[in-house]
Amino acid sequence: MGGTDAKDILGLRKTPLSLSHEKRARPQKESHRKPDGISREVYALTGGVAPPLMPSIDVTHLKRPPPPHEKVAWQWLPINSSARKDDLQLYHWVRVVNGVPPTGDYSFAKYNKSVDILKYTDDEYENLLTDPVWTKEETDQLFQLCERFDLRFTVIADRFPLSRTLEELKDRYYSVTRALLRARAQSPADLANHPLMKEPYDMTRDRERKRALSMVLSQSRHREKKDAEILAEAKRITEMRLAARRAADLDVSGNENIGLDKADGGPGCSVSPSSNSQLPATAVAPSTLTMADYASTLASLRMLHVYLRTYGLEQMVQAASSAVGLRTIKRVEQTLQDLGVNLKPKVPTKTVCDEHLELRKEILTLLNLQKQLQYKESEGSSHREGAYAAMPDTPKDRVFASEPFSFGGISAERPIKKEPKRKGPGRQADTPSPAHKRPRKLKASDL
Amino acid sequence: MYGGDEVSAIVVDLGSHTCKAGYAGEDAPKAVFPSVVGAVDGVEAMDVDADSAKNNSNSEDSKTNESDKEKGKRKLYVGSQALNYRRDHMEILSPIKDGIVSDWDLVDNIWEHAFRGCLMIDPKEHPMLLAEPPLNTQQQREKAAELMFEKYKVPALFMAKNPVLTSFATGRATSLVVDCGGGSTTISPVHEGYVLQKAVVSAPIGGEFLTDCLLKSLESKGITIRPRYSFKRKEVRPGEFQVEDVGVPDTTESYKLFCQRMIVGDIKDSICRVPDTPYDDKSYANIPTTSYELPDGQTLEIGADRFKIPDVMFNPSIVQTIPGMEKYGDMIPTVRGLPHMVMESINKCDVDIRRELYSSILLAGGTSSMQQLKERLEKDLIEESPHSARVKVLASGNTTERRFSVWIGGSILASLGSFQQMWFSKSEYEEHGASYIQRKCP
Repeated sequence: MGGTDAKDILGLRKTPLSLSHEKRARPQKESHRKPDGISREVYALTGGVAPPLMPSIDVTHLKRPPPPHEKVAWQWLPINSSARKDDLQLYHWVRVVNGVPPTGDYSFAKYNKSVDILKYTDDEYENLLTDPVWTKEETDQLFQLCERFDLRFTVIADRFPLSRTLEELKDRYYSVTRALLRARAQSPADLANHPLMKEPYDMTRDRERKRALSMVLSQSRHREKKDAEILAEAKRITEMRLAARRAADLDVSGNENIGLDKADGGPGCSVSPSSNSQLPATAVAPSTLTMADYASTLASLRMLHVYLRTYGLEQMVQAASSAVGLRTIKRVEQTLQDLGVNLKPKVPTKTVCDEHLELRKEILTLLNLQKQLQYKESEGSSHREGAYAAMPDTPKDRVFASEPFSFGGISAERPIKKEPKRKGPGRQADTPSPAHKRPRKLKASDL
Repeated sequence: MYGGDEVSAIVVDLGSHTCKAGYAGEDAPKAVFPSVVGAVDGVEAMDVDADSAKNNSNSEDSKTNESDKEKGKRKLYVGSQALNYRRDHMEILSPIKDGIVSDWDLVDNIWEHAFRGCLMIDPKEHPMLLAEPPLNTQQQREKAAELMFEKYKVPALFMAKNPVLTSFATGRATSLVVDCGGGSTTISPVHEGYVLQKAVVSAPIGGEFLTDCLLKSLESKGITIRPRYSFKRKEVRPGEFQVEDVGVPDTTESYKLFCQRMIVGDIKDSICRVPDTPYDDKSYANIPTTSYELPDGQTLEIGADRFKIPDVMFNPSIVQTIPGMEKYGDMIPTVRGLPHMVMESINKCDVDIRRELYSSILLAGGTSSMQQLKERLEKDLIEESPHSARVKVLASGNTTERRFSVWIGGSILASLGSFQQMWFSKSEYEEHGASYIQRKCP
């Protein structure tokens, strides 16, 4: 439709093809006929549908001629509003039908809503509501402002003549209202449903929330960018130092006999990164690999200053058990399970992890000792077999004799064996933490 | 109109530069004229003490010398038509100093002119809506109410604060209004239709201050702005004019300044732009100049001043580099630039509403239609503000709307159906007195 209009305006000749289209389009056009009340151009503009923007005005209402039997006039009449208490006479235009003005209240009077604030009498104030910080005048003023401003506390705080923070005002208002509600309630049941009683106002929490929000909002964009830059820079420097220190430690540990304390000392002292940067980090002797690993792990751990305790624990466990074979590790774990201890502590705090480590070490020691014991026993028995090979008839005696012997042997061996091992369990005895709560396990040294 | 019910109220906004008055429900004020009054003392007609009258900038002083009889002889001329005609010994007086009314007699005359001269109405039949500055004192409001009820006998009155009206003009109940007017710049947060008075920040730098800066700057370059009355153009040849000076020795200094300010104000409106970055002399030394033709035929070439003058709003210390403005040098260190004032005002508000204020900053006032002001303000604010808050500066594209946004807000408010219960009526005034206005108009 618009196309033919444009052609008309431009003065172009309509092609015969379009004419035939028109003929065919005509039966279709009937269904697309524009509704009355909208001008043709508007209808065409919207693509052949009535504008959906005004659903409240029905299309049929637009050009409805006024019903002939009504006489409509507009008169300048006074307003009668229930919202005004005085006798102010304002005038406005009123649609009068057949000389009868419309009745009823002013149509906008129903928007005169306000919040109902509880009002207290003087007696109630004396009995329930006295407060060391708030005087009666202040409380009265507060309630007046609350009523004027419909509980908009931001505005109330702004207009309150004495300087009180918004949280204090809210606190006072809510506590007074709660006290009044409680005092006036007929039964506890309808009291419990009142929203004020269900969720009491907590001033400190409000303060904390506002403080946090103000901290978030006080970071300007400029500073954020700078902070991000500084953090990136710091991270880069840390990485660089870490790599350099690792190289330094590996080099250093390859030359010395390292104990745990040496590894502590190494990263602890400040090594200048520039001198170590030339050392290649990859040249590591395989024999010192395990100790170097342990040192570097500790070094990296201390370097980062922050690490996951489970990760650290794993490292230490690995380090501790790296000297023994896989089967021993399995036996340690088996023992742990028999004792009912998790392989990984469920709550990895510092004390728990330390104890766990201790436990593992003790089990290792135990297993080692048991192995030694068996070994020595078999040695001892093989010796005895050799020595007493001629007396096979008193098995009981033998057994009886061998047992004290074996016991003696063992107890003889034991002290000898105990010496080098004293380092193990003895050390364990020295290092348990002061907060050692569980009962002391039977240790090898107790027997 | 949905929600509208007109009661034919009148809206009057008396600003420090122009006074706007008109019917509520319309979209622009009918009466717009400068809010200054030309006063000719009757003293001159009697040829007594001519010098003292000329030297006094305020005709009030001369009254103390004379007897009461001469006071009545002072003739006041209001309105742009009356002011544009040069009269001997006419002093230009402004009723508003530092944002508050200092001379109620002049205000009375201005209102009279607005009602009977421009709008041609009888105030007895129309409720009146007045716009007042946000930090108006109780005393001022009572005086205004008294004047309205006693002299003009209006049936009902309401006094609304300027930022609230601007906020309503854009359809918002909560916003931060940056009002760059003629006499001062005021930044006030509005929350749910009420001004938060403790967070209002104001600076004396306004449109007139900028005009003065430009005037002094041009004078220091040796350009004299001839007021329109002081010359005549005679056609010597067809198309060519020759300018002749007209001797007018009895014109007062204040009138001359008034006329010069009108011309320079036009220069400022048409040429000045806010620079995108803070102004410094070196980078703007070689900027291409724009030409402006003065009424007497002189052509001005304005280069760096185009950008320097508007930057005074963002960086007030530039004023000290303009020769002739040294008297403001002591006032300047306490005044901060516009973005800083906005941040200061927002930070004085409660934490919960700050985000909302940041995202609805409204520009209003005649000076805010300076080119690129909105963009520069937005840029500066985004840099300084917290990054978790979205900064949005809103300004209507139409400069008329920005200039009259307070009046338009008043027009909207006074024609709302639900506002009709809030008027302060004459019977309430008689019953409770003028101090009741504090309660009725929050």
